[in-house]
Amino acid sequence: MDSKLRILIVDDERIVRESFKHWFANAGHAVGAAASADEALVRLASEVYDLLFVDIKMPGKSGLELLEQVRQEFPEASVVIITAYGSIESAVQAMKMGASDYLLKPFKPEQLNLVLEKIIQQRRLSEQYRYLKGTLEQITRFDDIIGRSAPMQKIFSLIPEVAASDASVLLIGETGTGKELVAKAIHAKSRRAHYPFVPINCGAMSESLLESELFGHQKGAFTGAQQARKGFLEVVAGGTLFLDEVGEVSSKMQVDLLRVLQDKKVMRLGSRQAVTVDFRLISATSRDLAHQIAEGAFREDFFYRINVIQIDIPPLRRRKEDIPLLVAHFLEKLGHETTRKVDRISSGALEALAAYDWPGNVRELENAVERAVVLAKSRTLGQADFAFLQASPAGRAADATLKEVEEAHIRKVLADSDGNVTRAARVLGINRVTLHKKIHRLGL
Amino acid sequence: MRLKTARKVGIRVLPMGEQTRLAAKVIAAHVEGFMRLECRVLDPMPPPDFALDPQRLQYDAGRIVEHLEAHCCDECVKVVGVLGVDLFVPVFSHVFGEARLGGGAALVSLYRLERTEEGRRSAPELALERAAKVALHELGHLFSLTHCSDPGCLMHFSGDLAGLDATRLLFCRYCRDFLPAFAARGQAVEAGLV
Repeated sequence: MDSKLRILIVDDERIVRESFKHWFANAGHAVGAAASADEALVRLASEVYDLLFVDIKMPGKSGLELLEQVRQEFPEASVVIITAYGSIESAVQAMKMGASDYLLKPFKPEQLNLVLEKIIQQRRLSEQYRYLKGTLEQITRFDDIIGRSAPMQKIFSLIPEVAASDASVLLIGETGTGKELVAKAIHAKSRRAHYPFVPINCGAMSESLLESELFGHQKGAFTGAQQARKGFLEVVAGGTLFLDEVGEVSSKMQVDLLRVLQDKKVMRLGSRQAVTVDFRLISATSRDLAHQIAEGAFREDFFYRINVIQIDIPPLRRRKEDIPLLVAHFLEKLGHETTRKVDRISSGALEALAAYDWPGNVRELENAVERAVVLAKSRTLGQADFAFLQASPAGRAADATLKEVEEAHIRKVLADSDGNVTRAARVLGINRVTLHKKIHRLGL
Repeated sequence: MRLKTARKVGIRVLPMGEQTRLAAKVIAAHVEGFMRLECRVLDPMPPPDFALDPQRLQYDAGRIVEHLEAHCCDECVKVVGVLGVDLFVPVFSHVFGEARLGGGAALVSLYRLERTEEGRRSAPELALERAAKVALHELGHLFSLTHCSDPGCLMHFSGDLAGLDATRLLFCRYCRDFLPAFAARGQAVEAGLV
C-alpha cells in the first residue's frame, strides 16, 4: 500500500482547513476540504478518501453525527476527530463510536505525524488482510455462485445432494449462466474434491483433436505423435471430467464416450491395451438436446447415460432480483483485482440493469460491470456508466417484420411469466383468450 | 507575440528583525551551495506586527507567507523570511518553518531552534545548523518537493528538535536528483523562457 493518503478535512473554519491542506500537501498526500458534514458526505459519495479529519463542533450536523454516518456508509474510511481543550468527553465518545484517533487543538506537528503513521500502519494491515481474504476466497470460490432468487436457491439445495452421489450430471443453461461454476461446486463438495477437476470445451475442438485430448495416444499413433501422451480421461484419475458444450460432440465420439462410461476403460489411440479409469462426468449444454435427438443429431442412449441428473440453470433475465447481489459481488471482486476504487452503484443504474435482457447472462453482466468500473469517473456507478447497454440486441433488429417482433415479444413475456398465460396477457395488455389465439396462430 | 516580463533572478533571504542577520547569511550560503542558485541577503525589516495573535502571543505563519508572496517576490524566484519570533499555524502549537508546496515564500523561526527541549539556550553553531536545515527543507517545498521517507534526508519531516538534529544536512539521492531539475525549471518558467 502506498503511504500517501487521500485525506478529507471537514471543518467549518476556513483557516483551519487551509493550514491542514498546506501541511498535508507538503507531506505529499492528496487533500480535499469540506466546510460542513453535509458537504463531506457529498464528496464521499463521489470520491474515495482514506482518512477524514473531522471537527467535532460544526454548525448543522455535528462531527459525531458525521462520524456515525461515515462508519455506516463508508466504513473503509478512517476518521480522526479534532476537538478543542475541554471537550475531552466528546473525544472519548468519538473513540467509542469508531474514530481511529483524536487530536486536541492546537497540537504539536509531531503529534499529527504520529497519528498519520499509525493510520497508515493500520490501513496497511487491513489492506493485507483484505488481499489475503480475497485470495483465499478466490481459492475457495468453487461454491461461490451468487443468487438469492428461488430458482438459484433450488440449485443450491440440489448441489450437495447431487455431489454426494456419483451419478452423471447434465447442466442445461444458456451461455454465461454459470454452468462451469455449478460443475465446480458439485466437484468441490463431492468425495472427489481432492482429485482434479478437468474442464473441456467440446465446441472449441475438432473431432480428431478432442479424441486425442480425451483418449491420449501412443508414440507414432499418427503423424506428429512423437511422444506417448495420456488423455484427459486418464489424467482426471479419480476427479471430475466436465464436458462443456456436449451437444457439439460428434456421433462417433458419443459412441466412444458411451463405451468408456459403461466399461470405465479407455484405450489410447494406437494402443490395444485398455486402461481402467475412474472419474465422475458432468456435462453441460446450451442446446436443446431433446430436439437434437429428434433430428438424429444426438444419440439417445448417450443422452440417457450423461443425463442421470439434470439441473436447469435459469438465464439472468429470469432471476433479475439477483442482479444487485451479483453487481455487489463483481464490484468487490474487481476491488481485489484492480486499483480502481469503485464500490457503489446508484439505484438508477440498478434499474437500468434490471431493464436490460442480458442475452449473455451473468458473464455479460460481469463484463458490463468491469467496463463501467474501468471508465467510471466517480466511486459510484451511475445510470450513465451503463449507457452502452441501451443498444440491446432486440433493439437492433430493425429489419424484422411486425410478425417477427410480435412473436419474439410474446415469447419473451411468456418466458418471463413462467408460461403463465393469464399473467403474460396482463403484461401484454390483451385478454387471455386473445393471447391463447395468438399462441396457437404463431405456433408457440 | 510573447510579452517580455521582468527577469527574476535567484533566491533572497529576508531577515525580519536585526538579530536574525547572521542566521540569514548562513542560510544564504547554504542555499547557494545546495540549490546552485544565486542567493542574497536583503536589508532587514521589523517583525510583522500584523501577524501577532494576541491570545496565543505567537505569529501567524500563514499570514506572513501571504504577505511576503504579495510584496517580496517581484524580483526574485523565491524568498525566505527569517524571524526570531515564535510561529504558529492554527492547528499546530508551533512550527519551525512554513512554506506552501510550489509557493513563493518560506519562513524560518529561530525562536525554538535556539533553545534545547528543556528551554535552555542551545550552542549558537547548533542553532544556525538547525536554521539552515529548516530553510533548505522549506525551500524544497517551494520547489515542489514533498516530505521524504528517508529519515536522514533534509526533506524528512521533523516535528521536534531531536528529529531535526538527527537529520543530516543533506538531501537524499532521490530528492537531490529532483531538486536541480525543479530549480532549473522554476527559474526558466519565472524568466519567461519556458
